[in-house]
Order: sequence, then C-alpha cells, then structure tokens
Amino acid sequence: MNPDTMKLAQQSEQDLDILIKEGHFPEAEVALRQTLSQGTGPIATWKMLAHVLWHQKKFEEARDIRLMLLKNVPGDLPLRFDIAESCLMLGDFDRGWREYRHRYGLPHTKKIERRVQLPRWNGQRIEGQTLLIHDEQGHGDTFQFMRLLPLAKERSGAIIVFEVSPEVLPLAQRMPGIDIITQPGMLPPPGQYHCELMSLPMALGLTFSDLPVSTSYLTPDTLKLEKWQQRLAALPHPLVALVWGGRPTPYPDRSMSLEQLAPLGDAKATFLSIQKGPHAEQAKNPPEGLSVINLDEEIKDFDDTAAILCVADLLISIDSAPLHLGGALGRPAWGMLMHVADWRWFPDRDDSPWYPSLRLFRQTKRKVWTDVVERVRAALQSL
Amino acid sequence: MSIEQAISTAYAHWNVGQINQAEVLCQKVLAVWPEQPDVLHLLGLMSHNCNNLDLAIDYLRRACLSPQTPALYLSNLAEMCRQKGLLEEGEKAARRAVTLDMVSTGAWNNLGIILQEMGRYEEALMCLERVVNLKPNYAEAHNNLGNTFRQMGDLKKALDCYKRAIVINSDYPEAHSNLSNLYKDLGDRQQAIEEANRAIEINPSFFDAYINAAAAESAWGHHEAALQWLNALLGVAPNHAAAMANKALTLIKLRHPEDALQTAQQAVFMAPENGGTLDALAQALQACGNYEEALSTYDKAAEAKGATAFQTLNNKGTMLMETGKKDEAIRVFQEILTLNPRSATALFHLADAKIFKADDPDISRMENLLEKGHIQHYGDRLSLHFALGKAWLDVGNHERAFHYLDAGNRLKRAQIAYDPDATHQWMNSIADTFSETHFQQNRGGGISSDRPIFIIGMPRSGTTLVEQIIASHPDAWGAGELTALCDSLGTSAFPQYFSQATPEDYSRIGNTYTALIDKLAKPHRRIVDKMPANFLYAGVIALALPQARIIHCRRDPVDTCLSCYTKLFTAEQQFTYDQKELGQFYKAYEKLMAHWRHVLPVDRFLEVNYEDIVANLETESQRLIDFCGLPWDECCLEFHKLTRPIKTASANQVREPVYQRSVGRWKASAPYLKDLLQALGNAS
Repeated sequence: MNPDTMKLAQQSEQDLDILIKEGHFPEAEVALRQTLSQGTGPIATWKMLAHVLWHQKKFEEARDIRLMLLKNVPGDLPLRFDIAESCLMLGDFDRGWREYRHRYGLPHTKKIERRVQLPRWNGQRIEGQTLLIHDEQGHGDTFQFMRLLPLAKERSGAIIVFEVSPEVLPLAQRMPGIDIITQPGMLPPPGQYHCELMSLPMALGLTFSDLPVSTSYLTPDTLKLEKWQQRLAALPHPLVALVWGGRPTPYPDRSMSLEQLAPLGDAKATFLSIQKGPHAEQAKNPPEGLSVINLDEEIKDFDDTAAILCVADLLISIDSAPLHLGGALGRPAWGMLMHVADWRWFPDRDDSPWYPSLRLFRQTKRKVWTDVVERVRAALQSL
Repeated sequence: MSIEQAISTAYAHWNVGQINQAEVLCQKVLAVWPEQPDVLHLLGLMSHNCNNLDLAIDYLRRACLSPQTPALYLSNLAEMCRQKGLLEEGEKAARRAVTLDMVSTGAWNNLGIILQEMGRYEEALMCLERVVNLKPNYAEAHNNLGNTFRQMGDLKKALDCYKRAIVINSDYPEAHSNLSNLYKDLGDRQQAIEEANRAIEINPSFFDAYINAAAAESAWGHHEAALQWLNALLGVAPNHAAAMANKALTLIKLRHPEDALQTAQQAVFMAPENGGTLDALAQALQACGNYEEALSTYDKAAEAKGATAFQTLNNKGTMLMETGKKDEAIRVFQEILTLNPRSATALFHLADAKIFKADDPDISRMENLLEKGHIQHYGDRLSLHFALGKAWLDVGNHERAFHYLDAGNRLKRAQIAYDPDATHQWMNSIADTFSETHFQQNRGGGISSDRPIFIIGMPRSGTTLVEQIIASHPDAWGAGELTALCDSLGTSAFPQYFSQATPEDYSRIGNTYTALIDKLAKPHRRIVDKMPANFLYAGVIALALPQARIIHCRRDPVDTCLSCYTKLFTAEQQFTYDQKELGQFYKAYEKLMAHWRHVLPVDRFLEVNYEDIVANLETESQRLIDFCGLPWDECCLEFHKLTRPIKTASANQVREPVYQRSVGRWKASAPYLKDLLQALGNAS
C-alpha cells in the first residue's frame, strides 16, 4: 500500500468508527460492504459488518457471517459468544447453548470464571449424588433460569444444592426442586458434580419449544404480602409499578428517565415507583402531571418487590431484574425494550415465550422512547 | 477451628471454586504451622490451576519434604515437573510415589508419561499397562499408552488405544487430537482432519489439534491450508511457540524463506531451549542460504530437551548433502541408524547418497522393515519403496526395482489431487493466449535487463547440470529454482488475464522480477534462474524481459520420464507418480515447447540436449557460455567442484564429473514401462 492509500484507509477506518459509535448503521454497512466487495477482508472488518447488521436487526445475516468467520478462527471465543447470542436470538437453542458455554472466554469475563474442581454435570442421571448449582451475575438471569432447577432435580435424581446471592435467597427458599440453599463464599455440603445456573439449559438440552418450562415458579413471602396489602390498601386501583433505570453495563440504552414516562400521567392509575439504585432519586421529583408514590426506601429486598408486584395490577418496566421477577411470579408486566434488545426477548414479538404474563413494547427507533411510551399510554387507557 | 478442620475446610472451599476463602485459611494455618505439608500441597494445586507452574512446583517440592508426605503429593509434583520439562526430578518423585503406594494409578500413569518423554518406551509401557489393568476405564491412561505405542512405531496398537480412550470418554479432546495425528501417519487425510475438528469442537482452545490439522494438510502438500490452521491458532494465541515453528516450516514450503526465518526467530525467542523451535530455525536458516548458522543450530536442536532429535539429525544430513558434504551426510545418517535402526528417512537419504551392490545389507534391512510390517507410517513406507526401487535399479534387478517403484508411486499418487485433463487444457490455453499476434501487439513493453538467464524444461532433464556449468563461470550466479517469475505475475488468473495484457503490464512484471533478483544482492553479470516449470511462462519472459536468455534443456523423453518416475520429489511435482499421466504430461509439454520454438526470438532462445552435453562437454559448454554473452572460462568444465548448494533431486549427480550411464538407460527397464511408452507413443 502506498502512503496515500494507507492514509485514505486510516481515514475511512476512523470515519467508520464514528459512524458506528453514533449509530449510523446503514451508512456503516454500505462502507463495510464496499471494503469487502471482493469477498475477502480482515476478520475484524467482517466482525464489524456482522455488528452493524445485528444493530439493524438483520440477525440471520449477522449469524451467517459469524459462522463463516468461525471456520477461519475456531478458537476465537468472543466470536463464539457472539454466535451463541445470534443462535439464541433466532431460537436455535441447540447450537446457541453449546456456544454459550464459552461466555467465560471473553476478555472481561476470563477473570471471573469460577474454577470448580468438581466435574460439570452434563444432564446425566446421578441418583443420590450431590449437584452444586451456582448462580452467576445478574439477578434477572437468576430469576429467569431458576425455573430449570426442578427439572434438573428430576433429570439428575441428585440432591440439589443451590448457591445463590443473598438478595435472591429468600425467593429460592420457597421454590420446589432445591434441597439445600447456600450463599457465595459459604462452604456448601460436599458434592460430586457442579453446574452453573446458565449452563443448565445446555445440560438439559433445553429447546425453544420447551418454553416456558414452568410458570409462576417464584412466590411472594406471605408475611410480606400481608404487609404490602395493608400498606397499599388505601390506594385506588389500578396500581401500576414503575421501573425506568438499570445498571448501565452492558446496555446503557436500556434505561430511560422517569421524565420520559410523564405522558402516562393522564391514565387513571396509581403509580408506584419500585425503582432501586441511583435512578430511584428521580422519583423524588417526578415530572409534572405524573404523581408517583416512591417506595424506594420501604423496599429492603426482592421479597418486598415480589410482594408489591403481587399486590399491584401491573408492572411497567425497562429490561431489568424486576421485569423478570414479575414474569417469574406470573404477574402482568409490560416490558419496554430498546431497539435491538437482548437475545432472550427474541426478534420483534410482543409476547415472551419465557413469561406468558408479559407483554413487550419495543423501540422502533434507536434510543427513542416517545412512541414506546405513547403505545404504553394507549394500552393503559384501554385497560 | 482446629488446624485439622481449617485444612479440610480449605480443601473443601478449593473444591467448589471458592479460592479466596481457601487461600485465607491456608495462610492462617501456615502462620501457626509454617511448612504444613497439606497446606503447601493445596497452595501448589491452586497455583497450578492459576497457570503459575513455577510457583506450584516450589510449593509441592516443599510439601514433599515432610516425612509424612503421601504418594499423591509426590505424584502431583512429578506431573508438574514433567510439564516444566524437569524429567529427571519428575521421575524421582514419581518413583517415590509408587514406592509409597503400589496401586496408585495416578502415580504409575505420571511415571509412565515421564519415561515416555525420556524415550524409555519399554519402561513407559510397563507402567501404563499396569495402570489400565488396575483401572480399565481410565481414559487418560489409554491415551498415554497410545502415545507410547506411536513413539515405538506401532501405529496399529496406538490406534486401538486412542479409540478405547474415546469409547470411555467421547468428549476427550487430547485423544481426538492424537488420533488426528495418527491418521495422518497412517495416510488417511480425511480422518485426520475430522478428528482434529472434533477436538476443536469439544475445546476450541485445545491448540495441539490446530497443529495436527496443519500437519495433516502439509503431509498432503496443502501448505496454504496448513498456514490457515496455524494462523487461526496464532490469531488467538499469538505467542504459541510450536505454532510459530510450524508456521516457519510451512513458509519454507511455500518458498518464503525470509518470512520463515523471521517467524522461526520469534518461535525461538518464545521457547529458546526447545528442540522443535530450534529445528525450525535451522531449517529456515538453511532455506535462506545461511548454512553455517543452520548447522550449529541443528546441533543445538539435537541436544535440546524434548527434541525430535532424529528428525533434526535427518534435516542436518539432508543439508550436508545439499551443500556437497556427502561423506559427512552419510555419517549423520549412519549415526541415526545406530540409534534408531528403523529410521526410514535416514535409510532413504542414505540410499540416495550411495550406489548399491547386490550384497548390500541395507537392501534386506529395508525389505524386512516394509514386509514384516515394522513400519506402518505412511510417509516412511513411501520413502522406503522409492529407496528400494533405487537400490534394485543400482543392482540391475529391474523386476524388483519396479515392484517397489510402482507401489511407491501408487502410494504417493493417492496423496495427490491431480487432474490431468484440466492440466492439458490449461497448457493448450497458454499456447493460444501467447499467439503470434499477441507477441506482435505487445512487443516494445518489458524491461531491457540482460542479467536473467532462465533454464527451463522437464524435471530431470539436465537443468541442474546446465545451471552448474554456467554458474561455474565467475560472472554468473546460480540462484537455483526461484519462484520470482511466478511471484511477479501477481494473483490474476494465468493465462486468461494475459489475453488482455498491454506492454505496460509486461513492463510492470519485468520490473517486479528484476527487483526480486536484485534482492539476492549478487554482483554477477548474469543470474541463473533454473526453475524448470518456467517453461509454462516462457511467453511472459520473452515479453517482460526481452533481453533475458532462455535455455531449454532436452533429454530423451523416456529417460526423462523414467528418471522422474524413480524420484520422490521434495517439492510438489504432481504429474510424475503415474506412468500414463507422466507420459501424457510430457506430450503436452512437448506441444507447448513446439509453440515457443515457433514464437520466441531465436537470438534469446537456446535448446540443448543432455545427451550432447554428456558426449561433448567442452563444445556444448562453450556453446552455452557463448549464448550467455560471456567470455569462455575453463572453470566451467570443473563444475562438479563448485561448492554452491544444490537443493534439487539431482544433488548427488552433479557433484560427480559428467557420466554417461544415464543415457539410454531406459532400454533395460522397457518391460516395466508399458504404460509410459504407450502414453509417449513410443513404439520402440
């Protein structure tokens, strides 16, 4: 390459980065396709093309490119993780779960892989032996995949030890299919096998048509339920719980602000803020026209949230742990999803095969919530 | 909590992956009981698990100082020493372990692998067979047993062992990867690739499988595919020394010696004491023409730990042969045979270096190896067939000779995907493209350098001899078989692209070629490029380098083909392993040459007959030198004294003064050349 073309190439690379960063995916696609017009090119460029296709919801094409790349670099574990997400998004659970086992091969996950010395359970019968199942990160994931614990118990015939974070622990205690519950860092009883919670789908051979496997598998604490029934008794129905913010990683765009929910104010409903964390602050100064009862300080744990969701008539939430909790409790919940949502919501549909009580409202444009809120408002009015 | 409780709790935490809790307890115990052996052992296991091998060995050594050391700790120390290459220390630890616990399968297994790595195969076998007797479902032990059998040359038993390991545990990547390597040795490429893929599917980070897949592709001459496997591995593990070493070897095969050298140097930087990386460096140095350094590097490689010492010695011997040090080479091959009487490679090279007499014991030795099934390695069987063919031809027993040559050629042909019809069509299309009109239209392009001299023709037609004669002249440099011309053509399809070519295209090609020649940095007036296959591109030469000279070597067609048929070429020569295909190719070559004779300018195109050179060395040499535009020099008659290395199959012959025994030699073989003679249309 002579210096001029090299400069040109560097320039276009910078332009491309900007296009992608600013979300101009169709433009980036055009540029990338031009670079790759000969059918060959650096793997990084192909990966970029798959990325911009993904963000235009061209999931099949993105998957096919990734599978093509994998033939060249079968040891590329981040690529395998992308393929896992692609296949899961498209409902190919068989391939998806198989590739999903490489989720600890990413640069930022390598260090957090748990080095358990026990063999991993692969779905076989291990009658009477002890199987340690441990949760990973993300409470949403844990709520979603706890449904598989009774199935693991049935399939393995083992004594199930479930290690779960203290926040979720009380909910696990009320679930069938778990013999012993323990917490991270605490010594579980001696066991013969282990399995990560999110590896259960692969071990069990979970397919798309198996969904939802189980519904209403989480239940509220009766004492807390009574307490919240009393606490909210005086409020006029419908009671609508709201969640608008979540941790910024890995999806900063999934969050919105309470301000953006202002149009909901004209519905005849009582809004309960069950928002926790730094976003909860906004409930102290709700937008004009939207009156919100801020429950932040009264909610001590997920048991409180679960009880509230069982008293409330509806949850309206972004893609966050409370949405999963609502779904797992079998309570009506509306999810507001970003334009290209996580694989577990699958493409385009407004229901969720995981949670029959859920209804999904998706962004039609990247980062734009106005029409989503508008549709939610309309639905709320016809409730 | 008592000390005992603390220790068992630490182990329990470790078992379930709660490493921080385990470490805290370990430190608490050490504070009250320094050097507590169970704790040191646990810290060793933890260090190993966190890829900290040196630290792990340190902890385990200390753990094993306790009078109460159990067999398990010694066994673990042994295995970690093996991983570090500390075989002697490993053996000692493993032996202490099996003395303490005679039925510890783990300890016997670890001792077995160590002995195998030390080359003590019989002892390794005893250990590992004991292990599988004690514990028949121990997949790792079956796999290790397979490795030992493979090292001993018993490929069939190795196959059974790997298969048994896979029956026990089908998700065992090591066994699949080893099976891949074994299938390669047995000559089954498809299975070799399949098993490597299976290993990678189970564990995409199992790097040996990539190297084995590359080796399988290489064995069948698919060097580009091999390179892809190695690049796939280096893409995710950029510092993998073995991958770099193998990449260097592949680059040599692809004729990129400078890149090969750079890659091999990186490999040695990553693993400086490793026989494999040093061997690759030596080969790369050799490919770059740095023979002195190559030689000392081969010696270093042969001494290094974990060396594939025989392979290295074979490579060294081949290089000595290439550089004309025949006696030294023979000594090296004989040395290998004293250490390993079954080295087919050494026997093959030795056969090439000498002339057999009927009572040569090497003949029955090689026949025994082949026929008693001692040699199961596909490539080794292949070499021995050609070596025996050569031996019996020397002796004059043509029946025996062709028994082996036919079988050897069949074995080689089975490794090659060659489409004769497509090749002939392609050669016809070359003549069509470079028509008289094309020459008229493109005259005036090209570069006017008169430095290059191209020697072209069939392989085994005397091209090496002609090059030696010219290169013996002080003003000429013999560059050997260069790929420079082919490289100058770029990646466009040949010859299709050239039907639209312009004089500017030819100037560009001429420039690229002369630039590549300049990189050789030789001051000589003439540079001799003796790539025989350049006869395919003679039209390009004439248009891109109109002042360059082309010498076409001719030899009796049957002699030429017979000579090809008896040779196992190192570089890819696809058309020589079947008599009919060989004859047909010769006809297609003859036809193309007739076309060049018609269109090439007479003052730059000379044809010489091998038979004439042999009969009238002086006259023919003078004619050659005169054609090259050089003054006559007596040196040219002493060409066999030239010390310049020769890398082709003719190396041993041009080191001798001209001999006539190769003229008309085919007549004695005629009864065994029916297919060839028919294809050549030779009634005689």
